[in-house]
Amino acid sequence: MNILALRTPDGRPLFDLHSKPDGMSALMMIGGAVVAGVSLSIVLFMLFTKGHAAYNTSSDFPWGAPIAFYMFFLLASSGLSIISSLDTVFGLKTFYPVAKRCIWLSIITLVAGFTLLALELGNPFRLLWAIPISAQYKSPMWWMGNFYSIDLALLCIKFYLLHTGEWHSKRTHLISVGSFVICIFASGTLGLAFGMMAMRPAWYSPVMPMYFILTGFMTAVAFIVFFTSLVRRVNGTPENVRKLFDDVLPRLFFVTLLAVVVTRFGQIVTGLWSNFEGMEAHWRSLGSVMFHIEVWVGFIIPLALMSSRERRANVTIQMISALLFMVGIFAARLHLLIMGQEVPLFKGYWAGYVEYNPSFTEWLLIPAGFGIVFMLYGAGNWLFNLADHRAPADAH
Amino acid sequence: MARWGMVIDLEKCTGCQACTTACSMENSRLPGENWQDVLFYNEGEYPSGKLTWLPRPCMHCENASCVDVCPTKATYKDKDGFVLINWDLCIGCKYCMIACPYGVRFYAEEKQKTLPDVREVWPSKDGKVWDPPWAMPEHMNDPKHGVGIQPRNVVSKCTFCYHRVSKAPQGTPDLDPNDPKTREFTPACVVTCAPTARYFGDLDNPKSYVRQLIAEKRGVRLQDHTGNRPQVYYLAGEAASIPETRSTRTRKV
Repeated sequence: MNILALRTPDGRPLFDLHSKPDGMSALMMIGGAVVAGVSLSIVLFMLFTKGHAAYNTSSDFPWGAPIAFYMFFLLASSGLSIISSLDTVFGLKTFYPVAKRCIWLSIITLVAGFTLLALELGNPFRLLWAIPISAQYKSPMWWMGNFYSIDLALLCIKFYLLHTGEWHSKRTHLISVGSFVICIFASGTLGLAFGMMAMRPAWYSPVMPMYFILTGFMTAVAFIVFFTSLVRRVNGTPENVRKLFDDVLPRLFFVTLLAVVVTRFGQIVTGLWSNFEGMEAHWRSLGSVMFHIEVWVGFIIPLALMSSRERRANVTIQMISALLFMVGIFAARLHLLIMGQEVPLFKGYWAGYVEYNPSFTEWLLIPAGFGIVFMLYGAGNWLFNLADHRAPADAH
Repeated sequence: MARWGMVIDLEKCTGCQACTTACSMENSRLPGENWQDVLFYNEGEYPSGKLTWLPRPCMHCENASCVDVCPTKATYKDKDGFVLINWDLCIGCKYCMIACPYGVRFYAEEKQKTLPDVREVWPSKDGKVWDPPWAMPEHMNDPKHGVGIQPRNVVSKCTFCYHRVSKAPQGTPDLDPNDPKTREFTPACVVTCAPTARYFGDLDNPKSYVRQLIAEKRGVRLQDHTGNRPQVYYLAGEAASIPETRSTRTRKV
């Protein structure tokens, strides 16, 4: 079967190969492919020649940067799925113009996250059969793996339905509701994978799932502001989406960031106050570069930039703020990972705190992940008309 | 069915690390990958400061958090109380290493702490981590119970010398290295302990000496607040102590 020749029920080609990609889409596709290709080749070469010794992880620090990076992409994916549900599930019609783009971004960030996860695991192919047959319902990672797999499947079905013009059918609504519920569960269980670890007090928190869902949503808002701006500058802004981009999304960015800052402030203060062993990681974090990137670059500067209505409406300010937040939250994921592991578990007084800095191979996973996202985003922009939206008849 | 457990008398332990060495030789561990380790602590300050130590095998917990977090059930609780790893199911996600409160799990695919890297000196040809010149006989390798030299990309840990203990006659209350009838079934660290600070027996058997010791000498478990309920008990007595912290902190940084 030639899948490139497939057509939608209304007769349009499923993949619009005859249209020519615009400059920005082509640049993203080719640039992303080159960056991802080169980075992944080096990482795979290092893994084949040195094994996981190519990473700076150790038995004292088992989870390294790849976990933080895949966490970033998986949570961004869940957040994007939530944004796409604001219209398809909750009927907030203002968000129709970004629904399809959000689903596509959600799919490709999930693909990037899964790729990084596979490069972190010792036996990634064994996972494919060992997790489904184990039925280990007590493990948050088991739930997370299953939820994210179902999430990917539902996102693909939802995207197919929208792409084939089924925006308002009953089955689209049902799939959308299912997709929304699963993405909340998926990012929530990712939070539980950390939040349930009582033996790692810097992570242990019943609020962790909520924090993951919230920061995932915030990352998604930054993603959509940033990625839409990239294409918008070239294509010009369609009239019917101007309100969304100049007013609604920037305001959502500001308010959500405020919520993230308040939550994070609570975590920091609790950590600094607590005498519980393991929580001293919060004191150590005050001297960490990652912590300051998170707080200043990711939170304070974007919050200040987006605090006035005039600046919020400025495309450049929006792009910069979104980019800064993405850098900050990227650092935050890595910082969270380090905090939970730097106070060692029963290694004796002489062992000291665990020092961890990602290796060159681990850093390469950043261009690898973003290369995949840019490549697939460019391809989606070219082939799938991501700006397409069909609001219901009563929308205005 | 037994519930094997260990008692370590800290008043008798000299911190000589013979247990660590015996375990490494018995189980072909890489240098520094000490399934059984002795941890050292500085306590107090001059002029009353002192050096203390704590031998630390896997605790083979009753409610093992490592078992619960394993997404493939590679880590499991055996009917006789062992916590073991089935290397054929392990995906190398290392979640068990995150969830173990005692830091007793190891992943060999990492930069080695000592040089030369023995994995390169004695490389394995059959997908294992290494092929040391000394190793238990091939037929005793038992990947389903995490015994022997592990394959690449899996997690490993102390098995309570499953390959010895599991062969003990049913109903044996204690495995005493000084009793010729039970010596060969006794874990290597217990056999080698010169000051006889280690005792190994069935915690569920009313006749066992380990039960008696725990009751009479007030055996305590590490980090009991985690709810893991270790099957390793420490006797601190009057001359020894359980470390107050798990790691480095004596006061806020």
